[in-house]
Amino acid sequence: MSAVVSETPLAGVVKAAKKPARFSLARRTIITPILLSLLLIAITLITVMTGSRPFNQTVIDVLVRVIFVVGLYIFIGNSGVLSFGHVGFACLGAYATAWLTINPIMKSSALPGLPEWLLQTRLPYWEAAVLAALFAGVAALIFGRVLMRLSGIAASIATFAVLAMINTIYSNWDSVTGGTSSVVGIPIIRTIWPYLIGAVVAIFIAWAHAISRSGLALRAARDEPIAASASGVDIPKERLVAFVVSGAVMGLGGALMAHSIGVVTPDTFYLSLTFTTLSMLVVGGMGSLSGGVIGVVLLSALIQALRWLEAGVPIGESTFAMPKGLQEIALGIIMIVILALRPSGLMGNREVTLPRRNRG
Amino acid sequence: MSHLSAENVSVAFAGLKALSAVDLQIMPGRISGLIGPNGAGKTTLVNVLTGFQTPTEGAVKLDGEALTGLKPHLVRRRGIARTFQGGRLFRDLPVVDNLEVTGVGLGMSRRAAIAEAEAMLDWIGIASLGSRIAGTLPYTDERRVAIGRALMGRPAYILLDEPAAGMSGPESKELSALIRRIATDLGCGVLLIEHNVGLVLGLCEHIVVLDSGAIIEEGSPVSIRGSEKVRHAYMGTTADADLPVLEVME
Repeated sequence: MSAVVSETPLAGVVKAAKKPARFSLARRTIITPILLSLLLIAITLITVMTGSRPFNQTVIDVLVRVIFVVGLYIFIGNSGVLSFGHVGFACLGAYATAWLTINPIMKSSALPGLPEWLLQTRLPYWEAAVLAALFAGVAALIFGRVLMRLSGIAASIATFAVLAMINTIYSNWDSVTGGTSSVVGIPIIRTIWPYLIGAVVAIFIAWAHAISRSGLALRAARDEPIAASASGVDIPKERLVAFVVSGAVMGLGGALMAHSIGVVTPDTFYLSLTFTTLSMLVVGGMGSLSGGVIGVVLLSALIQALRWLEAGVPIGESTFAMPKGLQEIALGIIMIVILALRPSGLMGNREVTLPRRNRG
Repeated sequence: MSHLSAENVSVAFAGLKALSAVDLQIMPGRISGLIGPNGAGKTTLVNVLTGFQTPTEGAVKLDGEALTGLKPHLVRRRGIARTFQGGRLFRDLPVVDNLEVTGVGLGMSRRAAIAEAEAMLDWIGIASLGSRIAGTLPYTDERRVAIGRALMGRPAYILLDEPAAGMSGPESKELSALIRRIATDLGCGVLLIEHNVGLVLGLCEHIVVLDSGAIIEEGSPVSIRGSEKVRHAYMGTTADADLPVLEVME
């Protein structure tokens, strides 16, 4: 059989066609993560130059949200399955870094249920962040093995159940998580660079996944699941790959968020953060990495502007202040308007790239 | 002799028999035809052969080994490919990527899959379409891309579900030449499901006629053309003088 095949005319053609094959995928597409990283680097540099403390904190929040939204994109964007559960993995990452970085003396009194070796462990924040990402990835693997067999709305609702489950466990396992009260004493990192590095790493992970075999197969399955399985694509497996990678990125984001505020509670990583990050992804464009990053930057800028208005802007003698709650309402309205005008988000399925000169 | 076969396959949906005790064999390098009026169960049979539908009774066998219960992607990896009515291309992806997905699904690296995809497009004669987004293609090109996608990794068998639907005379002639090359040049066993009976009579050595889920006739094109039962089945359902359809298409 194989002897017959190798003598077919096609076998010769395959060899002949090898030369003019499109130049390497990585080289063709790497411009997107580079441009997105440059955008974040520019924002960071401006922040450092202004030297304003509150602005510094604001931009750290933006960079952390970029990690979250990129994490969401890796799964949602490529698979087309909406997940409400990913912030749960951020929660796992945040508590993991708390377990690994809090001073052992404080830990033994606040979280006495932790195993002895963990109570005695004290790692630098960046080692803890990597381990937190791995921990969240392993959790995503365990949940994903069950969830990825589901599809469509059933899968989405099941991911929500994961979020609720993680929240309930972490709110009630007092001796290990401190229950609903805050876990304090996480080393606070005030310099902006670690967050920038985290966001850039997340963007490059998302890019590497998107151009991988698994990413391509998953996007095909998103558009036409039946044809994809008839093309040999094992859809649950490819979904699981994306779920684990995105879970790990969420874990990284959760860990860095914990270090940006120094305190974690289970409710920090629940419905409100889920809503904010999902709306940023949706507004930017679910099917696009660029959309996710741009969505975060635009909506964060908007939120910040609205907060200033709520706090009051001095105009001449008097202070002009908008009523409290304006921020949430305005954000909701803007989201609806953008989605009404551009249902697939600002970027749709496109990525930012340089204008092409001559196509290869 | 290697072959793909459906043995005594029955499928019932909520008690309604879509297929009853169907036997069918597909041989490498040979074009077999499957015809029958609307609702005869042709697509159901293709679904059974490719793992999309589990038969209520009977089995699908590849070289004598039962494939029943295998998921569609595993059936494909065993070398049994199919196309769909209406194309089902990955609309947002470029044409090359559409083919590449199958290569990747079969375990190739992206680089190897791209190389084979480009060679395949060239072999089919649509190399110029490579970078077009699949969703923007005209109907006939869509069909040819779908065939190319199914041929990636050189499957031993390919099942074509109504590839000529909506094609003009000259277009289906071109398609017919392509199908012949798939069998002769690639040594692939082809099952051609078609409404265009003329196309089937002109291409296939062996034809199976399905009506209401059962095989009512099978044999060479000559015997099918002369069959009273076949004529009746077609007359009975499509009374609109579709009879000239039983003429051989060159």
